[in-house]
Amino acid sequence: MLAQLIIGALMIGSVYGLVGLGYGLIYKASGLMTLAQGDMLMIGAFLGLTFYKNLKMPFIVALLLTMIIMFFLGMFIERILVTKLLAKGAQMVYVILCTISISMVLQNTAMLSWGSNVLQFPSIFNKNTVLVFGMKVVPENLLALGVGLFCMIALHFFMNKSKFGTSMRASAMDEMAASSLGINVPATKGASWGIATMLAGGIGVVVGPIFGVYTSMGAMIGQKAFAGAVVGGYGNMYGAIVGGMFFGFLETFVSAYISSSYKDFISFGVLILVMIIMPKGLFNEEVME
Amino acid sequence: MENVNTNSMIDAIKNRMGILKDNKIKTIGIIAVVAVIAYMLQERYLSLILCFICINSIAVSGLDILFGYTGQVSFGHAGFYAIGAYTSTLLSMKANVPVILSILLAALLAMIFGTIIAFPASKLVKHFLSLMTIAFGQMVFMFISVTDKLTNGFSGIMNIPNIKVLGYTFTSNQSYFLLFATVTVFVVIGKKRLIDSRIGRALIAVRENPHAAAGMGINVRFYKILAFAVSAFLTGLAGAFYAHLMGFISPDTFTANQSNIFMTMLLFGGIASLVGPVIGSAILVIVTELMQSFVSYQMLIYAFFILAVLFYLPNGVVGIAAKIKAFLVKRRERKVK
Repeated sequence: MLAQLIIGALMIGSVYGLVGLGYGLIYKASGLMTLAQGDMLMIGAFLGLTFYKNLKMPFIVALLLTMIIMFFLGMFIERILVTKLLAKGAQMVYVILCTISISMVLQNTAMLSWGSNVLQFPSIFNKNTVLVFGMKVVPENLLALGVGLFCMIALHFFMNKSKFGTSMRASAMDEMAASSLGINVPATKGASWGIATMLAGGIGVVVGPIFGVYTSMGAMIGQKAFAGAVVGGYGNMYGAIVGGMFFGFLETFVSAYISSSYKDFISFGVLILVMIIMPKGLFNEEVME
Repeated sequence: MENVNTNSMIDAIKNRMGILKDNKIKTIGIIAVVAVIAYMLQERYLSLILCFICINSIAVSGLDILFGYTGQVSFGHAGFYAIGAYTSTLLSMKANVPVILSILLAALLAMIFGTIIAFPASKLVKHFLSLMTIAFGQMVFMFISVTDKLTNGFSGIMNIPNIKVLGYTFTSNQSYFLLFATVTVFVVIGKKRLIDSRIGRALIAVRENPHAAAGMGINVRFYKILAFAVSAFLTGLAGAFYAHLMGFISPDTFTANQSNIFMTMLLFGGIASLVGPVIGSAILVIVTELMQSFVSYQMLIYAFFILAVLFYLPNGVVGIAAKIKAFLVKRRERKVK
């Protein structure tokens, strides 16, 4: 029982962590906040469902194709909408509002094109359960955990070892210095939005078989992931993962041992408490004026 | 000498003309609005729309004090709205408190919650403030949807009593409209008085530059909390009115979308203005009602409203009106010359 709970918590935690990572990435790269990550996850799930179920592609192809499409969607949003808005001298709050309206547009587009019912994502593996250390585990949970961990590690190496990743970190640190060193700052900004969106979309495909696919599936995940990013220290990639795991565990254990209907209430309560007591998060990122 | 005299005379004439013309436009506008309202009051359904406009105006005016004048963003005003609605309902139904008193108590409770939220929120910067208010709105929503014993969960509460004042019971939508319109007018006048006062100037100073405001001896934290409290009070009041007008409430009304709708109304009408919230809520309520048959597109329309405001009308409808006015004044000046 306990071990299964832990695996469930790790699974949901890695989902929150990966979506939250996107928030941190965007915040670091452009100092902006998006609220559309959850809906990116939803769009990703719908795209994956379409590719996998309706177009009969292999799962891995569906996943990669979705991620590529989501990357360009994120880049499009940054290049076309956000940059234009900032060029007009808009405040940060207006960018947040812009992303809120993007999320409304995405939800409604999904509803109009795929309907408002919960769609069943066919299971990816033939087996219902697999044995891990003598326990029965749903393979999709393991897949979500695996994809989550893989993306996190890949992103870590991409940011630290590759040239483009380094230039992304450089332009996040100081735009002017980076551009004077010949780094294409707009491209790095667009890429960071693209990567954030891509991660959310990819994890959406993976959680599709677990939660089912419906238009409002992303809203709650997006907000929890955000909470995780804040608890970890907003803008810190590793903090977002730790924070996401924290909320995964909190939620799973609260619903197992206290009450499942109050789990979201308690999660948000913990978030507000963290913001009051420890606003810098676990990794000491600056949030106060 | 003479030249100066004629110049000042021309100025005086111009001023007088300006005032006259302004007053003329205002009078015509007021007459037109009253005529439309008088026409709409003949029908039950149309008066209900008018009631919604008033309720939303009150709530959005509250949000305007917070966002427009103090620069504190809130995406959780549906939480205060819900607190107002549920408190007044439960007090009047379960504790048999007279309705008018329960409304006031509900608004006060919303104000207390606003103050509590404002203590940590007044320290946070924009992004985190938005997140905190979102979390607050979600917590209220979760609470009312899972606490079945108290709030009846998603089935909602029915048969909420009507408002009673001095033995007179408000039953028709028309009578409700007269009550709400009076309150709205009081709210708008009160807001003007507040903004023109020392407090209002302090709020605007906090919005423009918190550090400079603090340097001038303004207690920034106190005014931020004050703005939250006043804003929560007005939104709670609107929520209580909503509950008693509809006679039925359920958590569906108080989702995060409701907060976004308030924000859209405020931005579309124009922030930091007296009539902006009223115009914004009037236009959006009417558009929503016209779009009843496309109910699934409703949020899409709101989204495009927000995007349009963000990209093309940075100051909302009031901003356009001001632009047209400035243009007319310029033309008039050219003619005089």
